[in-house]
Amino acid sequence: MMPPRELPRPRALLAEITYRCPLQCPYCSNPLELARYKSELDTATWVRVFEQAAALGVAQLHLSGGEPLVRRDILDLIRAARDCELYSNLSTGATVADEKMIERLREAGLDHLQVSLLDTDPQANDWLAAAPSYDRKRDAVLAAKRIGFPVTLNVVLHRHNLERIGEVIETAFAWGVDRLELANTQYTGWAFRNRAALMPTRAQVERAQRVVDEKLAASTGRLDVVHVLPDYFEEFPKACLHGWGMVFMAVAPDGAALPCQTAREIPGLQFPNVRDSSLEEIWFTSDVFQRFRGTDWLPEPCRSCDRREIDFGGCRCQAYLMTGDANATDPVCHLSPHHHLVAEALAEAEKPAPPLAFRVMRT
Amino acid sequence: MADGIRRPVLAPHARYRWDKVRSEHQLVFPEGMIVLNEPGKAIVELCDGRSLREMVAALKEKFPGAEPEDDVREFIGQLAERGLVHDAAE
Repeated sequence: MMPPRELPRPRALLAEITYRCPLQCPYCSNPLELARYKSELDTATWVRVFEQAAALGVAQLHLSGGEPLVRRDILDLIRAARDCELYSNLSTGATVADEKMIERLREAGLDHLQVSLLDTDPQANDWLAAAPSYDRKRDAVLAAKRIGFPVTLNVVLHRHNLERIGEVIETAFAWGVDRLELANTQYTGWAFRNRAALMPTRAQVERAQRVVDEKLAASTGRLDVVHVLPDYFEEFPKACLHGWGMVFMAVAPDGAALPCQTAREIPGLQFPNVRDSSLEEIWFTSDVFQRFRGTDWLPEPCRSCDRREIDFGGCRCQAYLMTGDANATDPVCHLSPHHHLVAEALAEAEKPAPPLAFRVMRT
Repeated sequence: MADGIRRPVLAPHARYRWDKVRSEHQLVFPEGMIVLNEPGKAIVELCDGRSLREMVAALKEKFPGAEPEDDVREFIGQLAERGLVHDAAE
């Protein structure tokens, strides 16, 4: 098949190899209806997907989930990625990774390990994960650093842990990780359901920014910090994944190919399955990857906006979740006719938080 | 910060990669990549703990007639800012 010349090729593939997970984080990006997607791709199909991805131009493979380490074939999958010359990253909760497993991941050719930490307060961490997990996460990170494995610590930020952002940075230094991602909650998936319980106050966000700046200015050690600001507090939306169908694709545990891992939240989209079609066909010709690609589909005020090639109208999932219309401008943009919805959510955050709904796989 | 680097080494999470599909040099790291031109690729390859002066000498040998000193400092500075190189002594 000859692909249209002007279309970009994907650079990154997110392989969500399972939705199974021992943790129940209330901001998980997995779908709320987890149990609908229980049939997982087998090893041979994933290997074929990696080979097709490499041939299509993917350089970077993110193995994620759920908890990717619950897959018994995880080492085979990492070896397959290495054989395809893909840069491989594994995102894990690290509660099922003992020292031996971490050594095996390295031997299999994994390039980078990303470990989630929910909070630096062990009790708060275990409460949010709904599982005793702090000690195991710490032990896994320390074991990985003992063998020189590159590690990113990823902490999702929200109203329950933002006060401890300084301790988060201290912990990253103490554990000797290479990178720290301070990622404010993105309100899709479980996080949208729990938005009122997770959204920080403006005062919390401003203080956190100050603390990060001060801590980093005072530090002498080596730590690469990526601080993702909460988009609800910004003027313009994020260029979600650098635009729909531009550089990124995801494959869900059941083989559905998605332009973004939360795209399943948008009703009416048909997702092709890697069991039936090649990644190349899916990327270049499927309706769903073309649905919001480029700028031709954009509504006003985006269509005539100077920033249309910068943010492509923002996040489609967020637009749908907040306005009920996936074609709308991301309400985070201050020019959006729905921007009042963001202001209302922020006003709600100034009130006491309602209880959290923890991630469960209902059957 | 970048000015402090005397002997650049590539960060352990950064990997050079030749992309066969696009015929391009890439420096890949957890959240993205930089597409390298030929001089950029040559500089990245020399980030093995040798001094900046030794890097410049090696580049002059590879690209006769070039005066790469400023480019090397600037590029190493950019990589350091993104946490992709650090000093061998650290």
